[in-house]
Amino acid sequence: MHDIQELNHVCVQDLIDRQLPEGGWSFSSPTTQSAIEPTALALLALPSSSVRERDAAVRFLLRSQTANGSWPVFSGDDAGGSGLTGLVFFALNRCCAQEMVTNRAVQWLIESRGWESHWLWKWKFRTSDRHVRFDPDKFGWPWMPETGSWVVPTAYSLLALKHARGISQQDLAQLRIRRGVEMLYDRICPEGGWNAGNGVVYGFPLAPHADATALALLSLSSEPPNNFITASVDWLERRAETCFAPWSLAWTILALDAFGRPTVLLTDRLSSVVDNAEVNDCATLAVVSLALRSAARDNAFRVAHET
Amino acid sequence: MKLDRRTFLTASLGLAVGASTTALLNRPKYRVTRRRPRSRVAILRAESYSHNLESILHSGLELFHLDLRGKTVLLKPNLVDYIAGNHINTHPLLVCAAVECFRRLGAKNLLVGEGPGHQRDTELVLLESGFSEELRQLKVPFVDLNRDELAATPLLATYTGMNRIWLPRTVLEADFVVSMPKVKTHHWSGVTLSMKNMFGVVPGAKYGWPKNILHWRGIQESILDVCATVPVHFVIADAIVAMEGNGPLNGHPRPLNRIVLADDPVAADATCARLMGLDPTRITHVRIGARFLGNVSTERIDQFAEAVCVPANAFEMVPEFQDLRVTDSPERQP
Repeated sequence: MHDIQELNHVCVQDLIDRQLPEGGWSFSSPTTQSAIEPTALALLALPSSSVRERDAAVRFLLRSQTANGSWPVFSGDDAGGSGLTGLVFFALNRCCAQEMVTNRAVQWLIESRGWESHWLWKWKFRTSDRHVRFDPDKFGWPWMPETGSWVVPTAYSLLALKHARGISQQDLAQLRIRRGVEMLYDRICPEGGWNAGNGVVYGFPLAPHADATALALLSLSSEPPNNFITASVDWLERRAETCFAPWSLAWTILALDAFGRPTVLLTDRLSSVVDNAEVNDCATLAVVSLALRSAARDNAFRVAHET
Repeated sequence: MKLDRRTFLTASLGLAVGASTTALLNRPKYRVTRRRPRSRVAILRAESYSHNLESILHSGLELFHLDLRGKTVLLKPNLVDYIAGNHINTHPLLVCAAVECFRRLGAKNLLVGEGPGHQRDTELVLLESGFSEELRQLKVPFVDLNRDELAATPLLATYTGMNRIWLPRTVLEADFVVSMPKVKTHHWSGVTLSMKNMFGVVPGAKYGWPKNILHWRGIQESILDVCATVPVHFVIADAIVAMEGNGPLNGHPRPLNRIVLADDPVAADATCARLMGLDPTRITHVRIGARFLGNVSTERIDQFAEAVCVPANAFEMVPEFQDLRVTDSPERQP
């Protein structure tokens, strides 16, 4: 069995081997359609010594930015924008490649919002459609334009805006950050943690998801401690005890590490899981690498906690 | 009444506008017709999830004389999420039985594919619901349709108002698509059967979790557009333990001890609805689907194996869908 850093080196090499000629990564190895999420996560995972690969990834992401400042989901996608825009902006920011994209991307992030914030939908959700428990005044970001807010794109967007440097519309950005944070607290599951979106549907509490919870917590890690956050970190720690899926386990490690909870046993388990089975999905491989790297006090998302 | 030229022209223009509007409104919203004169449905008895399912399923499939030689077959189970103790997914043993049966029928390539609608971590759903191990033993590949390579595809129906949709290449390149739903109630669409199950081919990477654009464009409308565009060649519905109440995630298990096979998704869903004590013609997407996707009327369905038994107590439904329940039926069991 590899030790953790050795295993991370194997993961990184595997990522490098799977990089497509245009600089991006597809989700799964046999396909050649570059996708934005694995590319942004791979960029975060590559060490600074992988200069050529990082440069190619940055160039691919810069080429992929649409005219309105957002990022699509994959090469050839429609140009309306996606909920991954925040992740790409965060990744470019962490790799010090944000200058060329800042203003347009921030403008798009400020303007993009879940459709429940529209007066007509607010009215609908307050009068005729009350099966889902949420406050439409507290909105975040959607997966795609003209749809509602969801936890993961909101978390990605919060990470981006909270760490954007030198932006011209600081007040508006702060306003959107506050709305997004309020939205996450509003949609939290009753036992802590987050499902894909709402916490209660038809009066029934939904079960949280480990990956959505971890991402939400990473985006909230610079917020003052409160009961929502504590309950969610506690829930995630309990859930981790029985989690063996690499994607969820890796995100869990990153979040628990950002909140100073012990992750040694979880990292050992993740190592064991990925050492014994090939990880075919490049996005998962990148998050696994990020989680393994966090064992060496290098958590790419911990920056959120420190600022 | 005196009809002068001006009045005549005005009236003619009004009539023309009215006729054009009516024609536009009445124009079919589908560009494909898959409904055949007759459909075939078989209801098989299966008491439990066991390794006997393969022989039960094989005997049922023989009734359909399927020729799958040289074909790529995609099995599309319903894997939404994993919640311990809740029967929310198509059972892995039924999917494995289908894999073995289709291999015996000569399929060239067999794939299992799904894009879970709630849970982003597909591998977690596979691991925790027992699919990973079963599929590994059978050496059958699984494709995460949420993260597959995508191609823009024109929609063959326009109930949502969308013109095209991005779909996974695995689905577009399959010769024979088998929808394998878990028979459940659904708090947004009434039921989730073989037609609603096709939401799973819509890629989450593009449309989000859940497939949010489809919810905002209308679930019933989206089901029709997706089913028009991605043909369902065969249905194997898991009604051994179904779900009633607040489905698709938080309902109660309801044993029906049946597997429903069909060569028509509308006929399959109509039959499943009848087994649930529901009137299929009150389910919007089944009723409209009967115009162009398949048959809902029992007169157009050739029924094999067991007959439809309407339960004494119809499935529990959320309040909005109480009207789907059949309140008085001569076919009802004592």
